[in-house]
Amino acid sequence: MIKNRILLVYLATLVGILAWLGAIALAPYLKSRGIPLERFLYFCFSPVCHQIPGRSFSLFGYPMAVCARCLGIYSGFLAGLGLYPLLRGLARARLPRMKTFLALSLPIVVDTAGNLFGLWASTNVLRLATGILWGSVLPFYFVTGLAELALRGRKRIE
Amino acid sequence: MSGQKPNVFMPALIGGAVAGILSGIPLVNCLCCLWIIGGAILASYLAAKDSPVSLKAGDGAVIGAFTGIFAAFVRLFLSLPFRNTEVALFRKIMERMSEYAPEVPSEWKDMFSFGSGPISLAGILLGLFISAAIYAVLGALGGIIGMALFGKKPAPPGEGTKIEIPQDPGHRQS
Repeated sequence: MIKNRILLVYLATLVGILAWLGAIALAPYLKSRGIPLERFLYFCFSPVCHQIPGRSFSLFGYPMAVCARCLGIYSGFLAGLGLYPLLRGLARARLPRMKTFLALSLPIVVDTAGNLFGLWASTNVLRLATGILWGSVLPFYFVTGLAELALRGRKRIE
Repeated sequence: MSGQKPNVFMPALIGGAVAGILSGIPLVNCLCCLWIIGGAILASYLAAKDSPVSLKAGDGAVIGAFTGIFAAFVRLFLSLPFRNTEVALFRKIMERMSEYAPEVPSEWKDMFSFGSGPISLAGILLGLFISAAIYAVLGALGGIIGMALFGKKPAPPGEGTKIEIPQDPGHRQS
């Protein structure tokens, strides 16, 4: 039963991130085809990203719905989610070591701070890479936390 | 959580206000989703600080989700006066881009015009609903991270030898 709950949270997260990444790529495709829904998709991502075209990768001739760093974070999240069953298994919910989190967070923190304070200007590839690194550790928190919550709810029901 | 409910409201309100303000101000909002995650980490810290018992990742998810929803409201109220500034700023960025990179298609300039027209109540409510839903998920993530960082309490003096029997062997945190 515990495994089922974790698996359910895992699958829901997987579907969610695939839909999220799909929508990021769909926006420029719809734009290139002149389908008006693209405006709504770009609008949906505006609360979570500055969407500056110069800081975004292009697809089908138009900027993607989020910047390179955000794309990295979400792609990294998907990669981490793929690794989750291999590294953690689905039989128990465990948070990762804090050292792992800090080590994978350091590049994005340093790069973002450097850009913010004008010390250097990163390329979009570097922004993507630091985003992927940081994003890859996030599902280990997200799935574990939600699974813990779901298991708690189950105990209350029982 | 050992049978005691953590105080969710005040930490989520403070974290949501901080995250909403920072993600609503033009230029400062360049850190994208990181402000929401950061606000939720702050909310988890505040909840853990005030809690007499250790809090778990699930508590962080709940606190973080509320933080995200509060942040969406704060951002909405803050972004309304900044709206014209943000559109003007974006246009300026596009103009500068066109100067330095002539190959930038001219239609990119009107790309993100969905939210730049006249404000309607339906548009505001739709924007609020979308941002609240997204921020709740991001906030939950931040809350869980925050609880992993600050949720554990050191055992009080005299209880150092107390062994807590886990309710579920597969449910422990490392």
